[in-house]
Parts: sequence; C-alpha cells; structure tokens
Amino acid sequence: MTVLGQILLSALFQGSLYAMMAVGLALVWTTIGVFNFCHGVLMTLGAYLAWQFVDPEALGLPMFVALPLALLVVAAIGFALQALLIRPFIGRGDVVLVAVITTLAASSILKNGTLLVWGPRPKSIPPLAPDTIALGASNVSAHQLAIIAITPVVLGLVWLFLNRTRVGLALRAVAQNEDACQLVGMNVTALYALAFGLAAALAALAGIFFGGFKFMSPDMGTEPLTKALVVVIFGGIANITGPILAAYIIGLFEAVSIYYVGFYWTPALLFAVLIVVLMVRPEGLFARSSRGLA
Amino acid sequence: MPLLTVESASKSFGALRAVDGVSFSVEPGELFGIAGPNGSGKSTLFNLISGIPFGPDSGRILFAGEDLAGRKGHQIARLGLVRTFQRETAFDTLSVFDNALMGATYGGKGPVPEERSAEALAFVGFAPADFDRKAAELSVYDRKRLMLASALALSPRLLLLDEPASGLTKPEIEALIALIRRIAATGATILLIEHVLTVLLALSQRLMVLNEGSLLVLDRPDVVVRDPRVIRAYLGDRRHVA
Repeated sequence: MTVLGQILLSALFQGSLYAMMAVGLALVWTTIGVFNFCHGVLMTLGAYLAWQFVDPEALGLPMFVALPLALLVVAAIGFALQALLIRPFIGRGDVVLVAVITTLAASSILKNGTLLVWGPRPKSIPPLAPDTIALGASNVSAHQLAIIAITPVVLGLVWLFLNRTRVGLALRAVAQNEDACQLVGMNVTALYALAFGLAAALAALAGIFFGGFKFMSPDMGTEPLTKALVVVIFGGIANITGPILAAYIIGLFEAVSIYYVGFYWTPALLFAVLIVVLMVRPEGLFARSSRGLA
Repeated sequence: MPLLTVESASKSFGALRAVDGVSFSVEPGELFGIAGPNGSGKSTLFNLISGIPFGPDSGRILFAGEDLAGRKGHQIARLGLVRTFQRETAFDTLSVFDNALMGATYGGKGPVPEERSAEALAFVGFAPADFDRKAAELSVYDRKRLMLASALALSPRLLLLDEPASGLTKPEIEALIALIRRIAATGATILLIEHVLTVLLALSQRLMVLNEGSLLVLDRPDVVVRDPRVIRAYLGDRRHVA
C-alpha cells in the first residue's frame, strides 16, 4: 500500500473511533446542555461487559448475543446515571457546573469499580472480524476495516433516527426549547433519559471497537474522552454533524502529522490547531450559535 | 361548571409576592382577557395555571373540575390546557409541519397526528407549500401563527395566549384579532393576556386587571376601562406624580 493509502486508512480508522465517541458526547450536550465526563468510563464499561458476556473464561455467549447485550446494559446504566447525576439538578442555574462535578465523581467511582470487579490484568475481546485482508502489498486488520465500514452506518442510523422518527424529532425539539416541549405535551425528563441512554450505547460501541484491537484497562476511556472533547469543541458542540466531520478531519490531521512530524509532537500540534480554530471560530468549525441536533 | 377555576392562587419569589391570592373562573366557550401594567403578575399567573415552569405556592387550580396540583407541565398540556408563550417558542431547525406534528403527536388526541397537524396549519393560514420550510426562515408573524397552530394541534379545551400581539405591526395585529376570533368561533375557551388594549377590548367578553399581583377589577371590558382604579394603576395617581 502507498504512503497515501496508509495515511488515509489510519485517518478513517481513528476518525471512526473519535466520531463514535464524540457523537454521544454532543448528543448529551445538545439535548440536556451538560458535559458528561462519564462518557469515557461508559466506553470502558462497554468493553468490559462485552468481555464478560463473550469470553470463554466468563459467560462465553456468542458474539451476536454478547455485543448487543453489552450495548443494552450500558444504555441502561446511562439511563440510571442520568436519573442520579443530572435529573435532580435540572432547572438549577448552576446545572452545568454541578454536572461536571457529579459526572467526574461517578467516572472515578465507576473506573475504580471496574478495577475491583474485573481486576488489573489486561483483557481483550475478540475482533469483529478476525482475519487480515491484503490491500496491495500490505495486510490490513479486518477488524479495523469493519470499524471503518460500521461507523458510518451506525452514525447514519443515528441521523435517520434524529431526522426521520417522531422520537428523534422530539429530541431535536428538546435540544432547542425545553419549555416549548412541555407546552406541546412532551415528557422532557423521559427524553433526557433517552438521550443519555443512546449516548451511553454509542460509547459502549466505541469500547467494543477499542477492546477488539487494544488491551483493555479500567483507564482505557480517559484518552478517548479527551479526544472526543477536542473533536466536539473543534467541530462545534451545538450539533452532531459538526463533530462527525471534525472527527474525520482530526483523524486525517493526526495520521499526516504522525507520519511526517512524529508521534510525540502530534498532540501538541493538534492542540495548537484547536486553539487557532477557536480564536477564529469560537463556536467551532461547523457550528451554529445555538444548540440544535441536526 | 366553569372550565377553569383559580382559587386564591399565590406565588412568591423571595420577598416579592408576584401573584397574591388571585381567584376567578372561566366559563366554557368564553374569551377572557387579562390586563395589567408591567410586573403585575399576568405571565406568572399563566405559569401557575399551566405548570410551566412552576405551579402555585398556595391556592387551588381546577381544570374541568380536576385539581391540577402535583401535575407536571406536559401532563397538564395533555389534559387540553394549552399555553403559548410571549416569546417565540417554535423549534427553529424543524420544518413548519414537524413543529405542529410535535403537538399533535405528544399532546393531541386521535389516531392520525399528521392530519391534525395539517388541519391546524391550514386553519392558521399556512399553505401546503409552506409545510417544508424551516421555522427559522419564518417572519415574526408567521412564527406566531406557527405557535398557534402547534397549540391547536393538541385540540385544546382551554387556550392560554400570552401577549400574542407583541412585536407585530398594526396590519398583523388586525389579522391576529381575526384569527383569534376564528379560533373562538370553533367553541374554544380562550384566556388572553395582552398589553395592546385594543386587542383585549376587541376580543374579550370579560376583562380582569391585575396590579402588583392582586386582582384589581373583573368586569365587562367597557366597564373596566372606565374604572378609576384601573386608570390609576396604568397612569399613576396625580397626587404621587405631583
């Protein structure tokens, strides 16, 4: 494979992972208006629960049962976290700050809980596709290609859900005006819980992607959360299409930078670009000035 | 039996008593106006009735004989007590049709929300060609009409309109008066807050004036506007001015 091909493949792979994480984060922000610092640990839980369900040392369920089950359990955890950490503070003027504290605290508790339950020994889950595929002279992991192919499908389904279904339209509506939603009879609390649950499931899917090619650890969600924050700020936090585009742009930027500049300088360069973008467009590269989920 | 009964409703914010023991009732099919100077508690009273964003500290609000205490805003809307806000509350990124569809789906009654949405939009004067336009593209008056259509899509039994004429030009206000008359002619019960007195005088069968959170006068509009207490509340007392 040519250098350009390798860079593009790496960009698409990293961009897919970043997009999967960032969309969930943006979904919670656009609907509820808070940053969810649990998002990284929800990814970790997705990976560990998938391991629990699929690994022969644990429950040993087939992949096609284990992975959806892990997504459902993490979505339920997301529901519960929203009820415990966010809902009691909705309507308070300082809800954004309070949610930072409550979600950070829960993240720490859940991370240590993961360590207690599953121990410190690194684990991995089977890749979505086990083989390698020959692309030109190089062999490429089929798992990585599967992630590149699955991510746009999943994000497309999320887009269709938000734009073509009644519940999706209601989520877009609640992102714009909570009072107006109540005026027309919408149960805003239920919509918030749905948004949090859906975001948690997307984080869990990212965890399953990660767990198929890297060793898992209780801390595995920290760096992807940081990257997802960069992506949503870069792309514009007020909608979900901006972060998707930004995820792939940042994936490409990192792939180019790692090849030509080096691995260690890439994060510094990325943050320099982020600062410049925010100086020119404080609302993000693709954002409108108001929240809108479209 | 009155459709709406408000009994000694009160609401305080710290030391400020925004609504102070207000009692009145609205009969089915009535167009009931509420006036008062800025800060007199009109919109707060609507908040207490609709439960959005809060209910009363004390007192009772009965809708069709049912006590609304403990009900959330969306539950009250689903009962058929529907409110519009003074500020524009259309969902900007949704189409005109989807705005009305939200009301028909979540708050309305009946099997085909799409039909009720289309009917409500047609009733307020939107042509089918407008249905796919984004709400953000609409003019102020069209957004007001869209808010009314979204409310009508819930098939309301009581419609609370909070200063619908604010920000409109004179011809638009005349068109709005005609539209509210048409809504009332369908048998809907309407509670109308308005700063523009000509609108209240043109539409109201009874008019209530609030001042400093309390009920000042409740009577026929022509009687209310001549009441010295109302004149004093709006224009001040000469002795104080001097």
